Amino acid sequence: MEFSPIPFYIVSALVIICAIAMIYFKELIYSALSMVACFMAIAGIYILLNAELVAGAQVLIYVAAISILVIFAIMLTRHRKGDFWLFFHRQSVVTLPFVVVAGIVLTVVLATAAYDSSEEALNPPDEEMARLLFQDYSFPFEVLSLVLLVAIMGAILLAMRERRR
Amino acid sequence: MTPLQHYLALATILFFIGAWGMMARRNIIMVIMCIELMLNAVNISLVAFSNYMPSPVPGRGEVFVFFVFGLSAAEAAVGLGIAIALYRLRERLSVDELDGMKG
Repeated sequence: MEFSPIPFYIVSALVIICAIAMIYFKELIYSALSMVACFMAIAGIYILLNAELVAGAQVLIYVAAISILVIFAIMLTRHRKGDFWLFFHRQSVVTLPFVVVAGIVLTVVLATAAYDSSEEALNPPDEEMARLLFQDYSFPFEVLSLVLLVAIMGAILLAMRERRR
Repeated sequence: MTPLQHYLALATILFFIGAWGMMARRNIIMVIMCIELMLNAVNISLVAFSNYMPSPVPGRGEVFVFFVFGLSAAEAAVGLGIAIALYRLRERLSVDELDGMKG
């Protein structure tokens, strides 16, 4: 079956534009909204990679849960308005060439390396994924739920206002 | 079919956008958002390798992505909890001004 590469380029351009917009917006709430758009586009990338279950989990966890958490954290705190240097560090200009050089080098190395990749898509269908997740890897999955429970309890404890002393 | 290298290039570019944002922005909430972006970039490369490289158990990379999801959710919860607690304590969230430990 022949796939067109055009959807990949559209979705990945959306991902990169939204990620750059997220960093450059001065208003934190605009950054959060473009982060939501970026995560949604990444879910599109997962669908292009035949990972529908991961795409659904991405929408549920990142687009819904983590964005709501971030937006609530932004709404519960107050942010200043001002010029560029109130939002960016002084070292942002210094680190930019290093990041660009490292990014270009790693991209070239990864994109020109030869992989003995297969021609057809290898990601299994959702039934097989569910079998892997809930049978073969069920113990790590349960441990992960315990980790999440402890983390949520810790977050509540950290953010809780102490009323009585 | 789009070659594997294109997905890896996308993941690398996204990772370094997140890394630069993490170093450049001042607000702690923004730093946490950039860390989430970097975790997403790693997830893209995991799913891409799982889709393209032959393995005895197909889909192992995808299972790993679910664990990264869980851990990043835990990290976001604790990090934003710390950010809100710091805001209550100090009334500011700029990483320049939170230098009480003189690191």
